[in-house]
Amino acid sequence: MNTNIETFKYDNRIVRAFAIATVVWGIVGMLVGLLAAVQLFFPDANLNLQFITFGRIRPLHTNAVIFAFVGNGMFMGIYYSLQRLCKARMFSDWLSWFNFWGWQTIIVAAAVTLPLGLTTSKEYAELEWPIKIAITIVWVAFAVNLFGTIVKRREKHMYVAIWFYIATVVTVAVLHITNSMTMPAGWFKSYSMYAGVQDALVQWWYGHNAVAFFLTTPYLGLMYYFLPKAANRPIFSYRLSIIHFWALVFLYIWAGPHHLLYSALPDWAQSLGMVFSLMLIAPSWGGMLNGLLTLRGAWDKVRSDPVLKFMVAAITAYGMATLEGPLLSIKTVNSLSHYTDWTIAHVHVGAMGWNGFLTFSMLYYLFPRLYNTKLWSTKLANYHFWIGMLGIVFYVVPIYIAGVTEGLMWKQFNKDGFLQYPNFLETILQVVPMFRLRAIGGTLYLAGAFMMAYNLYRTAKAGQFEPDTEAQAAALEKPPVVAGKSSWHRMVEGKPLFFTVLATVSILVGGLVEIVPMFLVQANVPTIGSVHPYTPLEVLGRDIYIREGCLGCHSQMIRPFRSETERYGEYSKAGESVYDHPFLWGSERKGPDLAREGGKYPAAWHYNHMDDPRSTSPGSIMPRYSWLLTQKMETDTLPSHLAALRRIGVPYPAGYENGPAQKDLQAQADKIVADLKLGSVKADSDKEIIALIAYLQRLGTDIKTTPVTTAAK
Amino acid sequence: MIYNIIHSLLREAVNLNAYGLFSFFLFFGFFLGVLIWAFALKKKDLDKMGAMPLDGGEKNSNHEIKS
Repeated sequence: MNTNIETFKYDNRIVRAFAIATVVWGIVGMLVGLLAAVQLFFPDANLNLQFITFGRIRPLHTNAVIFAFVGNGMFMGIYYSLQRLCKARMFSDWLSWFNFWGWQTIIVAAAVTLPLGLTTSKEYAELEWPIKIAITIVWVAFAVNLFGTIVKRREKHMYVAIWFYIATVVTVAVLHITNSMTMPAGWFKSYSMYAGVQDALVQWWYGHNAVAFFLTTPYLGLMYYFLPKAANRPIFSYRLSIIHFWALVFLYIWAGPHHLLYSALPDWAQSLGMVFSLMLIAPSWGGMLNGLLTLRGAWDKVRSDPVLKFMVAAITAYGMATLEGPLLSIKTVNSLSHYTDWTIAHVHVGAMGWNGFLTFSMLYYLFPRLYNTKLWSTKLANYHFWIGMLGIVFYVVPIYIAGVTEGLMWKQFNKDGFLQYPNFLETILQVVPMFRLRAIGGTLYLAGAFMMAYNLYRTAKAGQFEPDTEAQAAALEKPPVVAGKSSWHRMVEGKPLFFTVLATVSILVGGLVEIVPMFLVQANVPTIGSVHPYTPLEVLGRDIYIREGCLGCHSQMIRPFRSETERYGEYSKAGESVYDHPFLWGSERKGPDLAREGGKYPAAWHYNHMDDPRSTSPGSIMPRYSWLLTQKMETDTLPSHLAALRRIGVPYPAGYENGPAQKDLQAQADKIVADLKLGSVKADSDKEIIALIAYLQRLGTDIKTTPVTTAAK
Repeated sequence: MIYNIIHSLLREAVNLNAYGLFSFFLFFGFFLGVLIWAFALKKKDLDKMGAMPLDGGEKNSNHEIKS
């Protein structure tokens, strides 16, 4: 037995810093979400300011809650638990603080650039390339600090929570780098290297696994640490936690294509996504049951301890969300739910219930300990719990109702075989009351967060901060290898590098099997002869479409259902998006699909619609985009934009951007101005609205004018 | 034989091709391996590992006190 006892100190300062950031950014992210929610029934809540209009603040809200609120919460929990599980101070205090300030700088950069409309448009990966590079650097610093701490640990075994942290670090790095492959076209403008269906697959491989490996695996690690700690009893089954971990990290990475069911993605990829999503129920529920059963014999504590109360609700929400997710991946269910608010309700069960409540429980656990005191008011924390629960119920129930209503109304035919609700607006106006109720739910949840902030502030005031906690443990004398017939896993767990390689291989298999054929097998992306690159004016219009976040409400993917082809026209083909860097298929419909918008309305209709949507569509919930009528389009950047697109495969002739492109742009703009005159609208050809109209009038027209090559088949 | 039965079942159920089946069996093999791995572990070791969060090594600190 080792008698060489060492005394050392845990760093609490870094934990406190991340804890405060979690509270602050959590409130900011929820406030932005509330503002976005209000605009869905009161569009003028944007005060006619482009910077706080729905399309721009929706990504701000999602980024704030995912990366600022949950991200800081994740770092807070990891920095606290990792030191204690390794019985070692963090590897480098400098790296800890670099991680902290680097992450906060990235959040501030996001909070500035997204309202300015500087976005890649790829969901949860909207930040432009300089910020993406900064994320990579900060993440590497975090990884070095984490692995350095693991290497210098005084505990032989790596507890299951650490496995989840390792999987998070590795997978987020792989996902972030793969999905961030962009061609810069300026300091804050880039185009995805991938196009169309390939871009869609990479994006949703990333998007789904951002949920899996940023919102789930680190939080499962935190659950495996903080739940036993708060309940003062070991985890129910460590064996089950091993199965939970390996099955989850192997399966999760395959499930991304379930975001693209019935889209132009090849059928084999959709089927893989569906099957693996269904299999995910098993490990997810294994983990949930492992958590809940840890409390066996301690349920009396749940009644009085707000920390446990929040944890139980969080784990239950995890179970609900991870049952619902696979069910939504079944193609028939997805055909009803996709593009509706059902998906929004589903993600908010996970975000508000699982991530939010687990974060609150950790904060209530940590503050009294960091400040060497008791929680200022247990009663107020209990009130927070109930107001938070009410908030979740008032948020998700109306939105579930809204989602199912939308899905059914979109598909409803009358007895004569025509669409029952041919005007899309009818279906949205039907659910506006649900949007109002949802905002009330969000307000309640936010009120709870304010109550928590006050409670934690009073706790901090009442106690005295303990910057370092002194600890003792025996030094590790030998490499952490345990011999024995049945200890292979123990041996693997004792070798962080080998363990990391195994975990990396597990997550890479699924990604490679799905993504590589998509890039190598030509048959997966059939081309269509009549599809040609966007004109220079259309490229500028597309950039504006991306800047304004139009895809937050409008999809560009008509699924092969009669209810969709009747409403929108011919279903979308993979070959139509081959020049779409990035793809703009979208994931949500608060307005109609725009894949065949071109030529549907005259130019003047679009002009008036952008100026005031309610003038052309009474009752519309779309915000006004009147600034597009007055702002000049930025033609100075056109050469760099076209050159960047050519570099990634769009066949613009060499030198096209230096002269010919400008001439083509002016000719097309003049034609649109002439079209507008026919509708009694007088406009200058250099305004942004002209470019946007050019883009909208182009959408879907490539195969409208020429017979589709696949039709012969 | 078993392969053929599962193959035809899956084909009919979700229209999976051989590529999908390869993926399915890849996971199945992996999962089976993990199961064998987990059940081969000794209970004594598992109990020790499962209780790790409860000992943070802190001296006279309220980090071990219940709220």
